[in-house]
Amino acid sequence: MSVQTNRAATDGMVVVDCDVHLNDLPQYIAPYCEMPWRKSLELLGSIPQRYLDIPGYCPALVATPPLPGGHASRSVDTPQAMRNELSALGVDYGILLPDYLLGFALLSNIEYATALSRAYNRWMVAEWLREGNGLYGAVMACPQNPEETVREIERYAGTPGVVAVYLPTAGVDPLWGHRRYDRILAAAEAAELPVMLHSVTVTSPAFPTQINQFENHFGKQIIGHTFAMMANLASLMHTGVPARYPKLQIVFTEAGVGWVPGMMWRMDRYHQEFRRQVPFLEERPSDYMKRQMWFATQPVEEPVNPKYLVETMEHYGGADRTLFASDWPHHDFDHPRCLARLPLTQEQRRKIMGENALSLFKLPIPERLTKKEKQPA
Amino acid sequence: MSDNHEVAERAAEAETKAPRSARAPVEYPVGSASEFPPGSHKIVQVGTQEVGVFNVNGDLHALINVCPHQYGPVCAGRVGGEMRCNASTDWKFHWSRDGEILICPWHGHEFDLVTGRCLALKEMRLRKCKVNVVDGEVRVSLGGG
Repeated sequence: MSVQTNRAATDGMVVVDCDVHLNDLPQYIAPYCEMPWRKSLELLGSIPQRYLDIPGYCPALVATPPLPGGHASRSVDTPQAMRNELSALGVDYGILLPDYLLGFALLSNIEYATALSRAYNRWMVAEWLREGNGLYGAVMACPQNPEETVREIERYAGTPGVVAVYLPTAGVDPLWGHRRYDRILAAAEAAELPVMLHSVTVTSPAFPTQINQFENHFGKQIIGHTFAMMANLASLMHTGVPARYPKLQIVFTEAGVGWVPGMMWRMDRYHQEFRRQVPFLEERPSDYMKRQMWFATQPVEEPVNPKYLVETMEHYGGADRTLFASDWPHHDFDHPRCLARLPLTQEQRRKIMGENALSLFKLPIPERLTKKEKQPA
Repeated sequence: MSDNHEVAERAAEAETKAPRSARAPVEYPVGSASEFPPGSHKIVQVGTQEVGVFNVNGDLHALINVCPHQYGPVCAGRVGGEMRCNASTDWKFHWSRDGEILICPWHGHEFDLVTGRCLALKEMRLRKCKVNVVDGEVRVSLGGG
């Protein structure tokens, strides 16, 4: 796999990957964690773990057997490895999100969760963000402790390489529209940091992750991410978050885009009927979505006719609301090539592949492209 | 453009096109002014149309009894106020304009009786008719706007 070959479809355009995962094993983060919880992380690091399933760290409650014959399970342990792998995929910039800590919202011990989120942020900023490596980070919010999250956002706002706030979404209870999180969203808005919702397939008693009845991961995976995004979108809208925080930008990741138009139309319809319950929504829910919400492509739907996907995207704003994401290094990652197949104009492709993300996350134009532009002149 | 907008346009077209372009407005007497006291509303037959006549703070408003959403009998709905919540109300729920908002009995769409506009969907509106009082008699005009 040469870089050149892989670049072909996206040659001359910036490629920003809005969802890549760094390996955040407990033993990596332990040195950055305050006592006494450092002791817990050291202990967790010394016991065997399953992929995205560590009790007390990523309590995914996996009750299904491993896939007979095995399944791809990749991790990226260092920023250098991440840089090399993203370059091989033809990606200029990656927005880093956690791996095991995708299940962070399930942790019920507030003190521990607070210390862990602070340690993750310290570790991620110190170890992964280096000027020029094209890796950008999202400060992890601690839904268990909104007050401390505000301090973390204020602490890291303006830190080079910090471009977003990650909202742990798998099993978060209550959902992100709950007013207990108002101050987190206000802090993100004030810091001009977009918030990014990211779920993972977990089973928990919290809506909508009570997916214990599914016998296999196929069923859980189909439901897990999409339901988490739908539930949180409805939650954010039903308390008027986009109206109350009109500069807040909200990114929905890892659920594809097919679910978006249906939810959008459904909210528009019921807004007409129940407007008196949501009078803060002075425009249609879809109007707010088209101004303040972004949808990451992965795992991109693959209809028999690719034009159906482009049409689906158009319903919610198309290339103006869509961000490329690979989800590297996970088993269901998307190569940038997957979007090259879609019947988009070159301008639409450029926006989705990177230009939207450049402006959303305030990223510089990559040197690779500025140099290229200078050559002919 | 939303589906609802299109529905509203279709309804407006069906209601207005033929009579409006073909004929001059026709005035229909619908009762004496005393039958329409402030705060009241009733549905009257005007030619082939049902029209809701509303007395809002002493001013009469006449609206065709068809909701542009799904053609429900909108004028048979309750009259209420406008719930607001924004920066100017300090994000507190605030009830205002009591008696000026019509709520369709079918799906709860709210309409401003004065302008005919739907509160949730600004492009959607009820069709208003001209109404005036001549010698104590309420007259509703159909056609010609």
